[in-house]
Amino acid sequence: MLRFIARRLAIAIGLLLVLSLLIYWLLDIAMDPLDDLRTSPALNRDQLIELRVQSLGLDQPWYQRYFTWLTNFVRGDFGVAWRTGQRVNDLLGGAALTSIQLVFAATMIALILGVTIGLLSALRQYTTFDYAITFMSFVLYALPIFWVAVLLKQYLAIGVNDYLNNPVLNWPAVIILSVVSGLFWAGAIAVGLKRQAIVFGCAFAVTLGSLVYILTSDWLQNPRIGVVGVAVIGLAVAYAVTLIFSGINNRRALYAALTTAVVGVISYIGLQWLFYYVPMSELWMIGLLVVAVAIACLIGWLWGGPDRAVSMRGAAVVAVLISVVVYVDRVLQGWQIYMNASAINRRPVATIGSQTPNLGGDFWITQLDKWTHLLLPTIALVLISFAGYTRYQRGSMLEVMNQDYIRTARAKGLSERLVIVRHALRNALLPLASIVPVDFITMIGGAVITETIFNWAGMGRLFVTSLYGSEIDPVMAYIMITGALAMMANLVADFLYGILDPRIRVNA
Amino acid sequence: MGTKKWLAGAAGLIAGALALSACTPTPQASQPGLSTASVATVAWNQAYYSNNGNTSFGNATANNNILYMTNDAFNYYDKDLKLVPNTSFGTYEKIADTPLTVKQTLADTAVWSDGVPVSPADLLLNYAAQSGLYNNYEAKTDAETGDVGGENKGTKVFFNASSANFALITKFPVIDGKTITYEYSKPFVDWDKFPIQTGVPAHVVGKRALGIDDPTQAADAVVKAFQDKDNASLAKISNVWNSDFNFKTMPADKELVVGNGPYTITDLKEEQYVTLSKNANYKGSHVPTIDTITVRIIPDAQASVQALQNGEVLATQPQATADILKQMQALQNTTVLNATGATYEHVDMAQNNKGPFDADTYGGDEAKANKVRQAFLYTIPRQQIIDNIIKPLNPDAAIRNAFDVVPGSPNYEANVEAIGMKAKYAEGPSVDKAKALLDEVGVKPTVRFLYASNNTRRQQEFQLIKESAEKAGFTVQDKGNENWGPMLQDTSKYDAALFGWQSTSTGVTSLDANYRTKGTNNFYGYSSKTVDGLLDQLQSEFDVAKQNELVNQVGVELVNDAFSITIFQFPEPTAVSNRLQNVSSIALAPTLFWNFWEWKLA
Repeated sequence: MLRFIARRLAIAIGLLLVLSLLIYWLLDIAMDPLDDLRTSPALNRDQLIELRVQSLGLDQPWYQRYFTWLTNFVRGDFGVAWRTGQRVNDLLGGAALTSIQLVFAATMIALILGVTIGLLSALRQYTTFDYAITFMSFVLYALPIFWVAVLLKQYLAIGVNDYLNNPVLNWPAVIILSVVSGLFWAGAIAVGLKRQAIVFGCAFAVTLGSLVYILTSDWLQNPRIGVVGVAVIGLAVAYAVTLIFSGINNRRALYAALTTAVVGVISYIGLQWLFYYVPMSELWMIGLLVVAVAIACLIGWLWGGPDRAVSMRGAAVVAVLISVVVYVDRVLQGWQIYMNASAINRRPVATIGSQTPNLGGDFWITQLDKWTHLLLPTIALVLISFAGYTRYQRGSMLEVMNQDYIRTARAKGLSERLVIVRHALRNALLPLASIVPVDFITMIGGAVITETIFNWAGMGRLFVTSLYGSEIDPVMAYIMITGALAMMANLVADFLYGILDPRIRVNA
Repeated sequence: MGTKKWLAGAAGLIAGALALSACTPTPQASQPGLSTASVATVAWNQAYYSNNGNTSFGNATANNNILYMTNDAFNYYDKDLKLVPNTSFGTYEKIADTPLTVKQTLADTAVWSDGVPVSPADLLLNYAAQSGLYNNYEAKTDAETGDVGGENKGTKVFFNASSANFALITKFPVIDGKTITYEYSKPFVDWDKFPIQTGVPAHVVGKRALGIDDPTQAADAVVKAFQDKDNASLAKISNVWNSDFNFKTMPADKELVVGNGPYTITDLKEEQYVTLSKNANYKGSHVPTIDTITVRIIPDAQASVQALQNGEVLATQPQATADILKQMQALQNTTVLNATGATYEHVDMAQNNKGPFDADTYGGDEAKANKVRQAFLYTIPRQQIIDNIIKPLNPDAAIRNAFDVVPGSPNYEANVEAIGMKAKYAEGPSVDKAKALLDEVGVKPTVRFLYASNNTRRQQEFQLIKESAEKAGFTVQDKGNENWGPMLQDTSKYDAALFGWQSTSTGVTSLDANYRTKGTNNFYGYSSKTVDGLLDQLQSEFDVAKQNELVNQVGVELVNDAFSITIFQFPEPTAVSNRLQNVSSIALAPTLFWNFWEWKLA
């Protein structure tokens, strides 16, 4: 194993070296750092050119400059973005953080949605639902992000902001949305015409009801989930989680999940006081989440039985989900204040940047501000990338479902839930293990187009501005980092594969 | 059947929760930390990165726009590109012609934002650092380390700046109370043709470089270091001056953002925005009405227009394409200003490459070469280029008919009248006249035409020019190149070139580089004794009316010699939300910011 890693690392370093040399040479050919001075009518232009040639060492041959760059790079000095006199090391930190912020939520959501819908699509193979999902994912796959982004801005930001300031209920849109939701749920969870009709009816009614409530009450002006909402969602989550993770017949697991939900609802009230008196921070949020999970595990352990781990796991998942709901509720409580802030001017959904300048306000307001800025780019990235995951998951699930061991499992008399969750899904996730790390880490390299359109100052922006400005150092730093990360991701994927599937031996 | 039991339990929980919800605290309706200041947010396409706009790399519009708002100056450009003195900051006057002696007097109302009065020491530092007189080594000696931001060690002094103006003041200026007097070693007629700012505060530089906390003493120590050529101190001063003021995030030391203008920088987020708040210590006359101006960095034109529509910014001046302009015009509650920028498009011809425009081709017969050049200029379809390519971007676009005077500036009309480019070439093309001229010479020349091939607008212009010129009997070869900038200097590669010059001030000294025999920007081997003589006179002519007269005469010569032809001023449309009033844009920097203190929120 160690030899495998060492060999892979050595190859990676060699590759990076060749990559750096090649890219440096190509960049040197392509870039003209004196471009702007050549057409400058300044009287002292020759001096300015001379200054620049000397400070950038342009009078040396490119390989000499490459060597200087390489020695500095190895020592951890990534050079200077000479147009602005900033150290590349300083620039990278902020840019990488911004990119991760932008990409993390989107990748997670796309992954969860993609896997779930791919799974459903595979289970309902060759039904109308399957065809509809296939059609949709291909449409989304084909959409160029710059176009999606512009449309999202026009309708979800500018349109929604206009609507918030002048709400008029649009009946056709509401009904169409409700019908789509009804069709989706009927196709996804029901089999047989009668059941489908029932599910369709329910889903249609629930969607229509909630949409009309949201749009006609003052909920939009003053949105909140409230204790009732937390209770309803908590109970539903407890039920659903038990259904998937342990089966509804595992009573102890069900009770553990329900107890967690009840404890969650009660602590909601206590937390309101905590949030009222103590200024919060990200650290507090993580701490509270850990406490919640710990309590849930305790509850699961206490309900116990022979299958303690199952109960604990279910309860922990319920705790995490309820914590998210409580967090969202508290963030939404700041909505009115946020809307009326002078920097927001009653137009909350943002089209550019990662935060509103000079907003001020406490932790909750800044959180809300972050989400109003993350909303559009996240949707855009999810729309584009979840299609791929759906197709992948559907394909591998179908392949697994036709395996002999699935037939064996069914023949043993296992419930369909167990067959799918324990025997099929686990194996079907294997191929994803080799794409997700690569996808994820290359995304840190920056979603260049998304960043440009939504004006996020991440890695992609750094790369593009440096490239336009003929600044070789930041471009090289970018190439080296993304190159290194890509190689690392491949290594991790190989490694993960070996762990997940004992049949694959990494020593080979 | 447990369903009923379950439902009852759930209902009980929800009822209990409802009852308990009465016990939760109500969040306040407002928050003390939330900003209530009035804000005008403006989009700009490049991030602010240096509080010293006088270094060779800090001298960029992105910085200078911000510095314009955080620092006052002795004068500024108004809407008609006239330099208006700002006496609440100080006065400046010429007290002698030979040698040129200039006296600047600071007003008592000129105060830095940290409360320290602006002193001649600040002006001296600004001058001395840019003069280049104190640099005692070349950066070259350290180039083997490749360290660009290299520090000046020991007694090595290097200020990374260059100024044509200050380089001519070789005598140490005289400081007396609030005044400073400069004596030029050579006449420099543009001494008052650009806004005069103070640059970075000397007391801050003194404190950081020499460790003196008292502001007066620190500033005096800086002056003394220059006076005595104390290289050990100057090395430290030059390090601070070159590097300390470069930052993209709010520096921990607030002294680095000290300015003397109506606003000060109060927040700076890397590549995102700069926030300027009213300067409490400002005593000058440009008192703004808006509490805060935020400049948001939006490089993408489309994004900035949608941000304008969404109310996130109130004004934007994006790099215009016809689509972007259409989009801006379609916005409600928004005004689009059709301004022009500082860059102008023109066609030059090489006269030193044995090509069709060179007298050598005709056995040294300059008259013949002149006729061929005239013929080529006659074929340029100037009005057609404007109608087809520029009008969609600026409905008010017009032909630029002057070589050296910015349209809209006071002397433009008179110059157009005098030099006769308009009268001679009019709207173009005059294919018949061109044909006649070519017939007289008896040639059908081939013209290698250089332009930026990666610029769609120039590609289109080239097509129009080619079509029209070929009707007259020219053969036009496409020598468009992405690398056109460096190629300009090598006339063996082309015969005619289409590109833009950018005007940076209304000064007249820039003519010298363009037209003098072997001038820096005269790539074409153009040489005229008359023009050289006029330029010599211009260099020592301080009377503005006579300067204008000389500029006009140069123009006449250029038209007679068929040197070049100008086509249009680059369009620079600005979209402004109706919430922000009194905004307009001028052709020179700082474009739309020029009257920021007059901006009002509706």
